[in-house]
Amino acid sequence: MPALEGHVIHTTNLTKKYGKNTALNNVNIEVGNSGITAILGENGAGKTTFIHACLGLIKATHGQISMFGLPPGKLTSRRRTGVMLQDADLPDLLTPREHITLFASYYPAPLSLDDVLDMCKLTTLADKKYGKLSGGQKRRVQFALAIIGNPDLVFLDEPTTGLDTDTRRMLWDVVRKLAEDGRTVILTTHYLEEADALADRIIVMNAGEIIADAPTPEIRALAGGAIIKCVTNLSVKAIHKLPDVKSVRKTGRFVEISTQNQASTLQGLLAADINASELVVKKPSLEEAFDQIIHNQEQA
Amino acid sequence: MKYLSLNAFFNECGAEILKAVRAPEYILPTLILPVAFYALFTFALPNSGANSARYLLATYGVFAVMGPAIFGFGVGVANERDRGWLKLKRASPAPSAAYIGAKIMVTLIFASLALIPIYLLAGFGADITMARSAWFMLFGLHLLSVLPFALIGLTLGFSFNSNGAIAVSNIFFLGMAALGGLWIPAFLFPTALQKFATTLPSYQLAEIALAIVGAPSQSGVDRIPMQNLMIIAIMTIVLAGLAIWAWSRQRN
Repeated sequence: MPALEGHVIHTTNLTKKYGKNTALNNVNIEVGNSGITAILGENGAGKTTFIHACLGLIKATHGQISMFGLPPGKLTSRRRTGVMLQDADLPDLLTPREHITLFASYYPAPLSLDDVLDMCKLTTLADKKYGKLSGGQKRRVQFALAIIGNPDLVFLDEPTTGLDTDTRRMLWDVVRKLAEDGRTVILTTHYLEEADALADRIIVMNAGEIIADAPTPEIRALAGGAIIKCVTNLSVKAIHKLPDVKSVRKTGRFVEISTQNQASTLQGLLAADINASELVVKKPSLEEAFDQIIHNQEQA
Repeated sequence: MKYLSLNAFFNECGAEILKAVRAPEYILPTLILPVAFYALFTFALPNSGANSARYLLATYGVFAVMGPAIFGFGVGVANERDRGWLKLKRASPAPSAAYIGAKIMVTLIFASLALIPIYLLAGFGADITMARSAWFMLFGLHLLSVLPFALIGLTLGFSFNSNGAIAVSNIFFLGMAALGGLWIPAFLFPTALQKFATTLPSYQLAEIALAIVGAPSQSGVDRIPMQNLMIIAIMTIVLAGLAIWAWSRQRN
């Protein structure tokens, strides 16, 4: 299989089946050698399966994976990769310092232990037993293991699930810094906010398939148009009849009108109800884009 | 890259030792039990003497290494697999040879710690006299016995979750000790059990140990130590195959 120049990950028709269940269905992804890619999707969408297949932890049913131009799981590519898995807990009886030192010994040119402890805000916890740490502190140690090897590629599987805001911010800062240094970061998340804040590129997965794959602004634009929020006496049915309206949602005393063309819908709205008040026009959030993409997929 | 693997190996050894030393409640019983049993059967029971002390040194030495090997690998690996630790190691550039090698190294250390008090008791307490070379050969054999039991532990560790592994390791540990003739000589067993005993690595290792100390065979007939060596070598190869199979099943 041709390893494209500069591609860190390249999958072709990657499919993984567990009995009758299809966890991944013909997934084609190319990831270049820099930037932050977020894989977004609900639980069971296939995000973790995709990462496990790239790491060589599971065998693909068919299709191909190339990591740094090699089949997955090869030692040479593992030496260039750092990983934070979703459900990998470390032995309780070792300290963060011992855990990180052990992982550093696997890599040819690791970062300095003190730097990583500092980056991950672990300096004061370095000599406490891992088993005595809080959930968020444990995740920080796991994150430290992913970056200690100074890897070219970092996989973060749901890195911030269940983290407090401070830890999340710390992690985001380090991830941004990795990307600035020319590393490739692949992270999975079901927080749209996280994908929006961090990623240059978003891949949306649903039921084992890629349903969108584009730079972040384009994904947001996929929903198109705008959202008009206001208080009006018009019925939902009447609003639907206004020009270019895509959908209408009532939230408390407000209605949210999703429109293809804000100018024509606004004109129509004000013509029908001159008393419409508290008008706000906004661009759709990633969440709305996401809903739209999944909705389109289900209708197709 | 050679240096890198070696460095990883030393780090793994350090981590394994720290884990074991910080949880003495797991390792201490496997170190104390064999020497306590040996003392009991050699000195406290009637009919004891240099001959039975010599016999029991051979068989209890095998018993002493079984605990650290079966439990260290069986329960240790199952526990680390359960919590996803092994998955992370497989995804990282951790050399699996360094991980397994370090566990074997640490098992050898603890096996030695279990053996030494038994040897001291046998040499100074029971007045066993043997050529120095026989003492060293026996010690070497006892340490090598770690290998087949570690492979059994490894297979169990890959096949059961940590609770299951504790139960099944106990069954293998106690079963192979009792039925392999390590506690009570197999020639006292009913015929069917005697036949079964020969299928166990513990029995075969005990036979070689008995030959080294010059004690009679458990089978009651003349033995051919080379034959026992061949059998245990084949058993070890089969067990290694099983362990590799159990390992590769992780990647479904």
